[in-house]
Amino acid sequence: MNLQVIGCSHHHSSVSVREKLAFTEDQVKTFLTKFHQSFPKSEAVLLSTCNRTEFYAAGSNAQGVPSSEQMVEFLADQRGLKTGEIANNLFAHQDQAAIAHLFNVAASLDSMVVGEAQILSQVKQAYQLAVDTGHKIPLTHHVFQTAMKVAKRVANETDIHTTRVSVPSVAINVLTKQIFERLDDKRILIIGAGKMAEETLTYIVANNGKDIVVTNRTRSRADDLAQKFKGQITDWEHLEQQLIDADLIVSTTGATQPIVTRQQFKNVAEKRREKALLILDLAIPRDFDSKIGDYESIYLYTLDDLQKECEKNRQSRQSQWPKAQKIVQQETTNFFQDLHRRNSGSTIALLKKQANEVKDAELERLLKRLDRLTPEQESEIEQSFHRLVNKLLHPPLKSINADQNESVGLLDAMKRLFQLGD
Amino acid sequence: MELLQKISVTCFAASYLVVLGIELSRVFFQIGQRRYIRFGFAAAGLFAHTAFLGYHTQLSFDSQGIWLGSWFGWCLSGAWVLAAVYLWLSIRTPHSMIGMFLLPVTLLLIWFGQRFSDTLPFSPGRAKTVWNMIHGSALLLGTVVVALGFVFGIMYLIQSRRLKQKRSGSFPLPSLEWLNLWAERSLVGSTVLFCGGFASGIALKMVQQSNHSTPAPIPWSDPVIWTSAVLFLWLLTASIFGTFYKPARRGRKVAYVVTISFLFLLLELVIVWQVGHATDQQSPRTAAANCQIVQRRSNLQLRVQKRFSINALAGCQRSAHCEPGGRS
Repeated sequence: MNLQVIGCSHHHSSVSVREKLAFTEDQVKTFLTKFHQSFPKSEAVLLSTCNRTEFYAAGSNAQGVPSSEQMVEFLADQRGLKTGEIANNLFAHQDQAAIAHLFNVAASLDSMVVGEAQILSQVKQAYQLAVDTGHKIPLTHHVFQTAMKVAKRVANETDIHTTRVSVPSVAINVLTKQIFERLDDKRILIIGAGKMAEETLTYIVANNGKDIVVTNRTRSRADDLAQKFKGQITDWEHLEQQLIDADLIVSTTGATQPIVTRQQFKNVAEKRREKALLILDLAIPRDFDSKIGDYESIYLYTLDDLQKECEKNRQSRQSQWPKAQKIVQQETTNFFQDLHRRNSGSTIALLKKQANEVKDAELERLLKRLDRLTPEQESEIEQSFHRLVNKLLHPPLKSINADQNESVGLLDAMKRLFQLGD
Repeated sequence: MELLQKISVTCFAASYLVVLGIELSRVFFQIGQRRYIRFGFAAAGLFAHTAFLGYHTQLSFDSQGIWLGSWFGWCLSGAWVLAAVYLWLSIRTPHSMIGMFLLPVTLLLIWFGQRFSDTLPFSPGRAKTVWNMIHGSALLLGTVVVALGFVFGIMYLIQSRRLKQKRSGSFPLPSLEWLNLWAERSLVGSTVLFCGGFASGIALKMVQQSNHSTPAPIPWSDPVIWTSAVLFLWLLTASIFGTFYKPARRGRKVAYVVTISFLFLLLELVIVWQVGHATDQQSPRTAAANCQIVQRRSNLQLRVQKRFSINALAGCQRSAHCEPGGRS
C-alpha cells in the first residue's frame, strides 16, 4: 500500500492560508468526486477543520497514487489558487510517516489544545464523507479504522482527554459536576454580561442549564445575553433576592470593589438555610468577598483557583504525552507489520502455487514416460519432487519472514524475479 | 453440587479484595480496560457469593427449616446486598471510586460473619415464625442501608472538604448533591426498616409470650434490645427533625448523622456477637438477667396462685426453664 498526505495545520500555516484551504461538507464531496475522476486508481479522504486541512491519497501501488506535487496541484486547483501560493505552507508525509501523522491527529496529539475530543469525530466524519461518495476505499478504510482504534486506546490508557484546560470549561464541566448532579433544575445567576459570562454560559447551556437569570448594571447588555441564551433578566436592585434563590452564580463584572461583601452576604446565608451554592467569581478584581467562602455550604471559587486547576491540567496532559506517543509508535509499527504479513502472505502463496504447478507438470510428464512403476515407487518420486520444491523455496521464504522492514524490497524483487504479477 | 461445596468464603472475599485493590490502584496509575477487569472480578465475586449463600441456605433449610440459619448467614447476606449495590453503582457511575469506601464495609461484614461462624444457629423454635422472618429481614436490610448511608456520608465529607480546600483530589467521587440525596434517603430508609424490625421484634415477643402461660416482659436490660432501641430512636429523631427543619437535611449534618448511626450499628453488632442474640448460646449475664425477670414473675404468680389456692406445682415447673444458659 502507498499512502500520501499533504496539508496545512496550525503548526505550519497562518490563519489566512488555512482559511483559503478550508472546505465545507458539500465542497469536500465535490472535491472527492473530481479526484476520483482524475485518479481513478486512487482512494482519497479530505479532512477539513478550523485548524487543519489534510488530503490523504492511497493506492495499492506507487503508480496508482498521485505524487505529492500532483496532490498540491489538485488541491490548489480546487480552491482556485496557484500552486506557488500554498506550496510553502503545506507539509507532506509518505507511507509510515503519513500513517503515524494520521494516528497522532486522530488521538488529538497534533491538536492546538492537545487532548481535545472533537478531532476524533471530525476524522470519523471525513472518512464517512469519503465513503458517501460511493467509491470503494478498502485501503483507507483499514488505515482510518486503525486510526480510530489508536485514538480510543490513547483515550483509555492515558489521562490526556480527561482534563480540561480553559477556565469556563473547568468551572462548568469539572467543578460544577462535583457539586451538582444536574443543572436543568438549578437556578443559575449570571452577574455581568461580558465575554467571560457569555463563554461560561455556552458551557452551562451545553450541560442543560435552563433556569438562567442575568443581571448587569447596564441593562441593555444583560438583555442581549439573556436573549441569546433564553434566560430571564432581573434588575440590579433585586440582586440580594437572586443571591438567596441561586444554586450557581457566575460573576464577571468589571467592578473595582467587591459587589457582595461578607456583611451583605450574612443575611443571604441565613435565608438560604444551608442550601449548597457554588460561586464562580471570574472577575478581576474579585466581585465577592473571599470570606464568604467560610460559610459551610458556600463554595467560592475565584479566577485564580480555576487557573491553577487549568495549569495543573495542562501539565497533566504534558506528562501524558510520552505515554500517548509510545502508543502511537507501537500502533504504527503493528499496522505495518500487519500490512506486511498480508502482502507477504499473498506473494508467498503465489510463489508456492507457481512452484507447485511446475512441479505437477514435470511430475506428470515423468510418470508418463516411466512405465511399470509400482504405487510405492510413484509415491516415492512424488515425495521427492515435493521435497525438492520445498527445499528450493525455503531460503527465500525464510529471508522474507526474517526481517519485515527489509523484506519489502525482497517482496518486490521476488515478484519480479519469479514474474508473479499482482 | 460438588462444585458448590467447593466455593468458600475465601473465593468471594478474595474477589472483592482484588476489586478493592484495582479501585485503589486508580489513585496511582492508569490502566486501559481496568473498568472491565474490575467489573469482571466484582461480578465473579458476587456470583460465588450467591452460590455460597444459596447452597448454605438450602442446607440450613433442609436441616433446621430456617433461612440464613445463623448470624454467619445473616452477615453474609448483608454483605451480599452491599456487593450487589456496589456492582450496580459501578455500572451507574463507573468513574466514581465508590468501591474504595463500600468494599471495605462489605469485607468488614464478611469478616464479622466469619467471627460468628462458630456460634450456634438461630433458635429453631423462633426462627420458623413469620414475625421472626420479618424481624430478621428488616434488621438485615436496615443494617445494609445504615452501612450504605455511612459510605455516602463519608464520601460527602471528603468531597466537601476537598471542594472547600480547592483541591481536585486523586480519586473521583460522585457529586455532593447525589451523595447528600442518598445519605438522606438511607437515613429515612434505615429508620423505616429499623422501625419494622423493632415492631416485629415486639410482636415476636408477644407471640412467644402468648404461647406460655407465664407471660414475660420484654427484656429491656438485654443489651441487644436497648442498643437497638437507642439506634432506632436516634434514627427516628434525626428523620423527624430533618422533615421539619430543612437545614438539618442539608450538607454535612446528614453526613454526620449517618456516620453516627453506623457507629451505633457497629456497637450493636459487637454486642450481638458477645451475647449471641437469637441463638441458644446466650452469655451468662444476659441469660441470668432474663432468668431473674422470669423468676420474679414466677414467684409473684406462685404467691397469687397460692392465694387463690391453685396448684403451686405449675409455677415450680415454669421456674425450671430459667436456669442460666436456658433459652429465654
